Amino acid sequence: MQIPWRAAPRAALSSPLTLVVSIATTLLLSFVVAAAVLHGSSAGSAAMTYQEGRLCEQSVHPVLDGNTGFDAARGAAEKAVREAGDQPVLAGFYTGVGRPDFGGLATYGRFGFREGATDHLTVLQGGSKDGVWVPESIAKAAKVELGDRGENGALPPVTAIYADLSHPVDEWWCSEARQVVPNPIGGDGESASVIWMPSLDSMKAVLAGHERVALTVRFPQAELPRTIAEADALRVKGNALLARIGAPVTRSDYLKKPVEVAGMAGGNVGSAILPLTAISLLIGLAGVGTVTLQWVQRRHGELRMLWCRGSGPLALGGRAVLELGLPLVLGGALGLVAARLLLPVYAPSTALAAGAVLDASIWVLGVAVASLLVVVAVATWKTHRTFQGRPVVLRRRWVSAVPWELLTAGLAVFSWNQLVRNGLGTSEKGSSLPTIDTAALAFPLLVVLTTALVAARVLRLSLGWSHHANMWSRPAAQLAVRRLAAAAGPVTGVLLVGVLAIGTIAVGSSVAAAQKSSLAEKSGRFVGANSTVQVSQDLALGRIAIPEPLRGNTTLVGVSDKTLVVDPATFTDGAYLGDTSPDEVRSALNGLKKTGDFAPALRIGRSSTTEIRVPGLPLLRPGPQLPTFPKLGTRGYVIQRDSVPGLEQVGSWHLWSTLPMTELTAALRTAGVHYTNVQDRATVLDGLPFLIVQWTFGFVAAVGAVLAVVAAIALLLAIEVRRRQNAVSGALSTRMGLRPAMLLSSHLMELGALAAFAVVVGSTASAVSTGFAVPELDPAPWLNPAPVLPNLAPLLLTTVAGSMLVVFAAAWLALRSARVARIGELIRG
Amino acid sequence: MADLLQAQDVHVTYRTPAGSVTALADVSVSVPDQGMTVLAGPSGSGKSTLLRVLSLVEKPTSGEVLLNGSPTVPLSAARRRALRRKDIALVFQNPADNLITHLTVADNLRAAAQAAGRPEDVEAVLEQLGLPGTENWRVPALSGGQQQRLAFGCALARGASVVLADEPTSQLDAVSADLVLQTLATLPVPVVVASHDPRLISLADKTFSMVAA
Repeated sequence: MQIPWRAAPRAALSSPLTLVVSIATTLLLSFVVAAAVLHGSSAGSAAMTYQEGRLCEQSVHPVLDGNTGFDAARGAAEKAVREAGDQPVLAGFYTGVGRPDFGGLATYGRFGFREGATDHLTVLQGGSKDGVWVPESIAKAAKVELGDRGENGALPPVTAIYADLSHPVDEWWCSEARQVVPNPIGGDGESASVIWMPSLDSMKAVLAGHERVALTVRFPQAELPRTIAEADALRVKGNALLARIGAPVTRSDYLKKPVEVAGMAGGNVGSAILPLTAISLLIGLAGVGTVTLQWVQRRHGELRMLWCRGSGPLALGGRAVLELGLPLVLGGALGLVAARLLLPVYAPSTALAAGAVLDASIWVLGVAVASLLVVVAVATWKTHRTFQGRPVVLRRRWVSAVPWELLTAGLAVFSWNQLVRNGLGTSEKGSSLPTIDTAALAFPLLVVLTTALVAARVLRLSLGWSHHANMWSRPAAQLAVRRLAAAAGPVTGVLLVGVLAIGTIAVGSSVAAAQKSSLAEKSGRFVGANSTVQVSQDLALGRIAIPEPLRGNTTLVGVSDKTLVVDPATFTDGAYLGDTSPDEVRSALNGLKKTGDFAPALRIGRSSTTEIRVPGLPLLRPGPQLPTFPKLGTRGYVIQRDSVPGLEQVGSWHLWSTLPMTELTAALRTAGVHYTNVQDRATVLDGLPFLIVQWTFGFVAAVGAVLAVVAAIALLLAIEVRRRQNAVSGALSTRMGLRPAMLLSSHLMELGALAAFAVVVGSTASAVSTGFAVPELDPAPWLNPAPVLPNLAPLLLTTVAGSMLVVFAAAWLALRSARVARIGELIRG
Repeated sequence: MADLLQAQDVHVTYRTPAGSVTALADVSVSVPDQGMTVLAGPSGSGKSTLLRVLSLVEKPTSGEVLLNGSPTVPLSAARRRALRRKDIALVFQNPADNLITHLTVADNLRAAAQAAGRPEDVEAVLEQLGLPGTENWRVPALSGGQQQRLAFGCALARGASVVLADEPTSQLDAVSADLVLQTLATLPVPVVVASHDPRLISLADKTFSMVAA
């Protein structure tokens, strides 16, 4: 290799600016590409973790459940222990609900044994583990005391009385809840608390070999799988283990669906961010091409000399790669490292599939190779055109002649049609995930892109026209305009990237925030409150008072069919009203005064206006209307509790509270109020469809942040590249009498106008497009309300503050170069 | 003396947004295989264009350029590059444009020799240029005149059959220009110079006067 080529990598050091720009270009480019790959994998892991969170911890590993004879159950459990090896096994044995005899009053109960159960119960009396543990409910009902021996002395003595288990139970009991948590307001004998036996043998003695038992075999995991691959491996291993056990009981693989769904989630997010990533890739490669063109211009003398010495275009292209290649590859590697390190900032989970980083590395390698090919191609083409091609007429550049904005506007119209026709895609009730229509998802971004292109064209035309403007009465403004016009190309580029950055950040964060709030809002409307529990009618009938800690934050609601029976005085204290005014609801409820045999009812949404009969309630006469109502959504009726003469006839009674579930149930337990059917706003809905859209647009916002960095660097570089021009013109102007403050204000006007234009256009485009798109981007359209645009003011303020910071920095750079300019610099060539 | 280079009825036209511009109109010159040939004339007379055509860097719109009696215009770009690599050295007006500024003096000479596939004899060339001891200097450490002389040194190192130089003294002060003229006068190969410097014209063995049409 000849010296000019051999020395090329070192030559890169001769221009630190080119070096920095080259590194920054591929850093950002490979960051976006690597982040897209990692984000897809991360979304899959996050979906997996989310779904595991909705399962009981001990049900994550495939499990065995069944009802069989005691010996068969015991045999199955023992085989499970043998086959599982080091894997912990937890077997539970439960008899059916019967009437244990402790010599006192008859009550319902069931016997059970689960290794370690007594470690996870709250002891009220006693506590020795070598005897029978009786639940408080049975102990009270049957007047059981420590030392008593049930079943006519056949049972070991009672050594502890424990607090009955109730919802929500802790993770150790979660998978056993059906067996161990009684329904205290259910019918007699439907369910009962468990009398825990001290050993399996003592339980066998109780059964006397006649009764069938419910068997549960669990395989607790020290660590839950964090990725889809880990979960799938656990499933495969677990199912193989269960097959080896071969017990005559049911095998359940609760992880099967989550694994499938998480795979779909990762795929959905990956495919949804693919177009944006592809666009970013093209923009990045165009950036590499621009860097190469600048390199050709900067090395023009050397290239011409080498050309004259007989080097061909391809050899000169190779010269470009040898000089720019190392910084580009280094930038690519840094981008990969940055994407990995910043994973917690932009991705929904830090857990990645085993091959994700390798995949990202391969993509980054591909990007690096593509960048090098672009460098060779551009340098070869440019040197060929400069030195070998015939001089051509300078025509208007075709890039600016093509009406790109019409093309993108057409695509935006197409994607809008997709959005209004299909919403997000195939989001049907019952389907666990929406298959996201990428075209529909692209609508707000296409609007932003179209607006950015229009803004760039308007700016270009305005700058072309600006020489007509005569504002010398305001020299700062005149200087600012002339400076902008003199650098029309870079200025237009900075505006384009700036608008895209601001618009993309706003679209990404708005849609993501809208999805988050929509999930919370829909969950609240679906449950009716922050948390609810079903209670006995004794509370409605006044036999039991609502516990003191629940006053002011909880209300009692009766439910019969699609009708709610509410207490107007407390309803707004406990219900989740969303953005509906509590006064409006209170006023509407207070107006429902019973007259005669009719119960005046609030008509919700499009419910019928005709009188309606609901079992257990008086004849309803629909009156005033509200568009939506907690729990009911857009269909149903609401009546006052005072309108119902027979409260015991109401279907069921529930406490609705603004308190978290744990606080509500703790207060009820403390007061001895029985409850069942708990519903928690935080977990009632499967939020994965919302999360998928949220994660997708979270990545959009991250790409927007990258573009913002590009815009800021481009602006600062544009100032630095014309440092000498600024210095000379600024120094000359100040020597001709322009005050430094005026010079500064002209730079602030120049850059401020550009930034303000970008902020106004970008924010407006994103606000308008997301205003239309957000209500349509609804993963659960069957639930009210539709997502709404969040408050954009904080984002706008942050954007303005960030832009001002960049503007001040750039203006300071420009002013500094003028102030430190020396006379020698002024008179030099 | 035989003719090393010949331009026959060379016509060069450029297309511009304002229309076609004729840079050379039916120009014919012949460059002997020794001595100095000067293309003299005012700015805009087409000296530099003719020099580029003679150095095979640019193809004429019409006409022919013969190198050692062989036509070059019909040749492919690759063949023309091969001829440039082997036979022709072109020295530009701006001294820095003739050198690789991030290399040392010696590496510039070596690079020039390598381009033509010639052995490197850096010390001999520097001795001949009057620049001994500058092997390890960076190019920017040299004065403009030294840089221009080094450019001719590169032409020597390449063993070119002919050296073509475009206004080699126009960016130099009088003292530096004199040193460059001395170097030019001592080059052992035929030299073609485009210049309107009377001192250079006075050294010429053959002069073509060009006029702006």
